[in-house]
Amino acid sequence: MKKIGVAFLVAAAVCSTPLIAFAQDDEETEESEDSEEAGDEEDAEDGEAEEEDAEGADKAEGGEDDSGLGSICEIDPDACPKIDFDKEAARDIREQVFAVQQLFVLRRWRFEVQPYWQVPLNDQFVGHSGPGLALNFWITNVLAAGVSGNYYEPFNSDSEFNFQTRRAARVSVPLTEYRWNANLNFTYTPVIGKFSGFGDFIFQYDAYVVGGVGVISTRPIPVIDPDNRGFNWETNIAFNAGLGLHIFFNRWLAATLEVRDYVFNDKLENTEIPDGQEQNTSTWFGETQLTNNVQAQMGIAIFFPFSFEYRLPK
Amino acid sequence: MGDMTAPRERQEKSGRRARLGRGLGVFCASALVAVATWLAPHIAQAQEILLTGPLKGAGAVRDLRLYRKGRFEIAPAATFTLLDEYLRQILVGGRITYNITDFLALGAWGGFSPEPLKLEAGLVEKIQAENQRRGGISAGRLAAGMQPRLQERLTSLNLGNKFEKQLGSINWIVAPQITFVPFRGKIALFSSIYIDSELYFFGGPAIAGVTERKDCDGPDSSTSGGCSSEALSNAVDGEGARIAVPNTETFPMESRIAIAPTFGLGFTFYVNRFNALGFEWRAVPFSRNTGGFDNHGTGPDNDFPDQKVNADDRDLKLNQMLSVSWNFYLPLDYQLSE
Repeated sequence: MKKIGVAFLVAAAVCSTPLIAFAQDDEETEESEDSEEAGDEEDAEDGEAEEEDAEGADKAEGGEDDSGLGSICEIDPDACPKIDFDKEAARDIREQVFAVQQLFVLRRWRFEVQPYWQVPLNDQFVGHSGPGLALNFWITNVLAAGVSGNYYEPFNSDSEFNFQTRRAARVSVPLTEYRWNANLNFTYTPVIGKFSGFGDFIFQYDAYVVGGVGVISTRPIPVIDPDNRGFNWETNIAFNAGLGLHIFFNRWLAATLEVRDYVFNDKLENTEIPDGQEQNTSTWFGETQLTNNVQAQMGIAIFFPFSFEYRLPK
Repeated sequence: MGDMTAPRERQEKSGRRARLGRGLGVFCASALVAVATWLAPHIAQAQEILLTGPLKGAGAVRDLRLYRKGRFEIAPAATFTLLDEYLRQILVGGRITYNITDFLALGAWGGFSPEPLKLEAGLVEKIQAENQRRGGISAGRLAAGMQPRLQERLTSLNLGNKFEKQLGSINWIVAPQITFVPFRGKIALFSSIYIDSELYFFGGPAIAGVTERKDCDGPDSSTSGGCSSEALSNAVDGEGARIAVPNTETFPMESRIAIAPTFGLGFTFYVNRFNALGFEWRAVPFSRNTGGFDNHGTGPDNDFPDQKVNADDRDLKLNQMLSVSWNFYLPLDYQLSE
């Protein structure tokens, strides 16, 4: 039976023995390990330092180690530390605590690629869902310049509500479909925060505002006189502004949630059909209306390069 | 029955079992060594200190402010309906909640929408403008001793004299609900203002008081129980028949109670120990007839009008709402976690 016990001990020893062990000081490994959290690194270093301090204190008090403080006291009694460690330990420590000790993600000089899917929030008549892509370059940790675009064309959908209203009230509402849009944006991040999930894990997030200018390609869906009218795509200047959230899974991957309003002048279909002018294209357009297309955009954000270095310890 | 084998044989059997057991043990241990060697980490990092040091098993947060535990929350709220086709509504009300723990609460949300807070969308104006234009055409034909056009007669089942008076609306909602608060945190605004915040989810049954167009049946005038808003004038046409005047009556309305689930999520931003600002998104999905139209009732999948206005004409709506609340907490002070 002793052999079995020995065998288990050997197994346990092998389990608990790393093939290569090194301490936190190995800077090359630190840099290459992207997934390590800086806060944890600090804790580890603090732990090490605390252990060393405690060790030193024990030796100083006991005076057992001749090569330590004891020998210093023997060589130069004036240099011998005269600290009462018990008194120091009992003293209240008023450590300055920062609400956010270190930004979880540094964005400066990083690219952000943000694919998303968007759904319209304020158009009860035509669905304009579709994919989109945003590319940002972060000039500072809080300011980015970038481009974004949406593709709508295959996803425009005339709602059943329109049909019901046309059938019941014999009233048609001019409808517009979108093809694509492209925008130049600036993003500013004034809010950062963190949430504790189920009191167990912590995830980081930030909130940003985004705004810019671009173009959108639109055309009316012919509902007043669909037998005669057919419209070509036209581009309009569109301004945009929005609010968004990054919820970080790690230092280079985040979920994004954004609400953005694209504002543009929309040329609507003429609700009148002038007698004998059905084929006259100049009579097809009616009023021009300022349109707000509010979208909810959900996607992910990937930051390149994946890793970064902190310049300050806190 | 006792053991009839000889003591020597029993010893031999016992010895064989022991050898077999040792052999199995050595084999298992060897296997364990092999597996352990294979699974052993190639790089040990300083991070491991956390797992074995004084922080082992420690919670993610210490001295957490328990804003909710054991406290009542009284939250006056204004609720705005979203994505309405005809009527945008504001419900005035609030939420009363008792927080059993910091992450679980029971309570009720409610609100009512007075008439001045039922705001017509642009589509209502367009339909009513068209309605009035047609009314003018019908009046002209009446003066000329002619029956109205077919288009006006066809819409009489769905359009009354005033379209805005036939719109379905939500008058009030009461919803007992359970609230779950899994996420607690803080936000930094411009790196200078720090606010405790939380994200919560809620759900429960909702009871809603709804006003809709009264049920009716057939092409007769609504005053006689039918669905048409067409009235007969005293004038007669060239054939001696009384001339009909379309869209002159206003449809009668009635109220009913709808039972529906409700669910949503919200954010709370704590301003101080007993005040907070709340934002909440809520859905109350149930079917209702918002326009007072005859949309369904016959044909394939009941997708065609049947000259009746009843429950068949209701469409399922998500009935989304956004609430803004100012929350008060009692007692005034919160507890702290370990």
